[in-house]
Amino acid sequence: MKILRRLRGANNEGVLLAVIIVVIVLMAFASPAFFTPGTFFSLARSSLVPLVFALGVLLVMISGGIDVSFPAIAIFAAYTTVEWSSEASFDPTIVGIFAIAIVIGALWGLLNGVVIARFRLPTLIVTLGTQGIIKGILLTYIGSTYISAAKLPDSVAQTGDAHLLDVPGAGYLHGMLVPVVMIVVVIWWMLKYTTFGRSIFAIGGDAEAARRVGIKVVRTQVILYVLVGALAAFGGVIFVILGKNANPQTLVGTELDIIAAVVLGGASIFGGRGSVFGTVLGVVLVQLINNNLVLVGVPSTWQRAAVGILLIVGVSIQALAAMRSRRQPVLVEEEVSKA
Amino acid sequence: MSGNDLIGLRNANQKLDDGFAGIISRIQVPRGAGRMVLLLVITFAFFAIMNPRVFLNPVNLQNIGVAAPEIGLIGLAMMLAMLTGGIDLSIVAIANVSAITVSSLYTAISVGGGAQTAESLSGLIILAGVVMGALLGAVNGVLISVVGITPILTTLGTMQLFNGLALVWTGGLTISGAPSALQMIGKATVIGIPVLFLILLIVAVLLAMVVDRTPIGRKIQLQGANPVAARYSGISARRTLMLTYIISGLLGGIAGLVFLSRNPSASADYGSSYVLLAIVIAVLGGTNPNGGFATVTGVVLATLTLQVVSSGFTALRLSAYEYAIAQGVLLIAVMIFDQLRFRRRRRASPGSSSETVAIATVKRGKDGTRP
Repeated sequence: MKILRRLRGANNEGVLLAVIIVVIVLMAFASPAFFTPGTFFSLARSSLVPLVFALGVLLVMISGGIDVSFPAIAIFAAYTTVEWSSEASFDPTIVGIFAIAIVIGALWGLLNGVVIARFRLPTLIVTLGTQGIIKGILLTYIGSTYISAAKLPDSVAQTGDAHLLDVPGAGYLHGMLVPVVMIVVVIWWMLKYTTFGRSIFAIGGDAEAARRVGIKVVRTQVILYVLVGALAAFGGVIFVILGKNANPQTLVGTELDIIAAVVLGGASIFGGRGSVFGTVLGVVLVQLINNNLVLVGVPSTWQRAAVGILLIVGVSIQALAAMRSRRQPVLVEEEVSKA
Repeated sequence: MSGNDLIGLRNANQKLDDGFAGIISRIQVPRGAGRMVLLLVITFAFFAIMNPRVFLNPVNLQNIGVAAPEIGLIGLAMMLAMLTGGIDLSIVAIANVSAITVSSLYTAISVGGGAQTAESLSGLIILAGVVMGALLGAVNGVLISVVGITPILTTLGTMQLFNGLALVWTGGLTISGAPSALQMIGKATVIGIPVLFLILLIVAVLLAMVVDRTPIGRKIQLQGANPVAARYSGISARRTLMLTYIISGLLGGIAGLVFLSRNPSASADYGSSYVLLAIVIAVLGGTNPNGGFATVTGVVLATLTLQVVSSGFTALRLSAYEYAIAQGVLLIAVMIFDQLRFRRRRRASPGSSSETVAIATVKRGKDGTRP
């Protein structure tokens, strides 16, 4: 029993891993074309951007909030940087591009953080508002035109072709995997071993208790949103690099899909619970389904419904388990009310 | 001056005071509604002054009346879910499925039995759309009240599911065809007022009566205000939530019919920006996202205000993106304003609790979903 419980993991990561393995096995049986390196390379490639966004969503969710402004921040930061670079015909190298975008993203995150922490407003509604503001400013004042591959700064275009591993005839592993894996590890380490990371969990668990043990709630929240803004910008630049174009109309509208993946990964929407490993698994599972449903003969129109069913089943199991574990005290309460 | 005169003066004064008090108490409508009347008047006046020729044009005013109902209905559905401390992210998906149901039923019947038969059955077909909305709402209701999933997660999932099923149903295409009765309603006006707008008003009045005057409405309010108290007053959370989401789905279904009456075609991804817009409308209309407080009047006024801003922006040749900025700024400004006023009132009263409690309650939401 003990081993089983450990395998299951604190946030049902084990269950999720088992589901992924089952899905992979089923798909491998259904289609011989599935078990090729190409499938896994494209899975890795399509998971990169959602994964970075999901990490940001995870951090906010652990702190007890919901952020829907991250796609707007991402495309704002990436598009603004690339647009400026191509307008000024100045290429600040790929590191420079990332740095500028991250600063822009962090500034938007600061706005989110200050409004949320200072005025103590519901995070969903504040970020809903900032999403509109950010998208509006981007399309009105920065630009609304599509930047094609030819007009992208050279460094961005080159990075788009950087492959980590080339398998002739089977595809390639994209070079952006390296920074994304690094970010995943850094966030994992931060959540597990730093005071800041533990503070986020504490605030999400119980903000009042966190305040009483001496955690500076407002300051932690502001830093958190700055960090999440920076993460979103990072993801936005990777999105531009992978897509080899910059379109200001994209990304916004995908926020609920990312949140769904994070929830599937075992994070609690009430805060205080969630893990980087679970989030990675959640994103991979969603991408696995999105990418390969067609391969096993299910029409692509079923993708959304499939993810929806998966999400509902996932949260139902969690809810039912929570209800069962609470049955004891409820019974006592009922007896008291009878007496 | 004689004594009599003085008494007369005093009486007159007294009468005047009473009169004023009466007027003031009559003006003092609930929080959301009062503020929205002011905002609506200000925005309307602003655009009327800035560009009277275009904005005050009867055609423009009629357009406001035609465009407002669909988002108004969705906003009302969102308000109802928020009133119990929940949220309904699936409402636009429900509206679309209902529109697709009506459209494809109509097309199927007119292919099978001729256009005449389809027209004669249009009442039933329209009813099927509304029933479909209520049915999908019931799916939400079961997941929330029986299985015990938090509303936001339930509707996040069902949003994907309903939207996904709509995609499967239509194959991702826009399907066309709708009973001509619906199209007639979409175009008809009564003394210059679009019938669609009248439908919104009628639905709003009915909903207001349900929320304020019926036992179930009271239960919905109490469930949102204090689920524990509701439980100990013998209110079944399960039945209350079930009914809330069925009504919410019903409103979504009606919104789907409005989609069709404006434009006889349906698709899975119509109005994808409406989910967020509905939340904006509900909150602007004074709905407390944590439950327990909302007014139908406030939501209807908020719908009108946003529609006035939208068409006013068009009259001033501002873009849809600038409208998005205005929406965001309006939403955050109203929230901050509310919060500051709330805090000031709290500071004035003794025994205010510690600072972070507000965050805690905001974040935790109401745990009212578990029976």
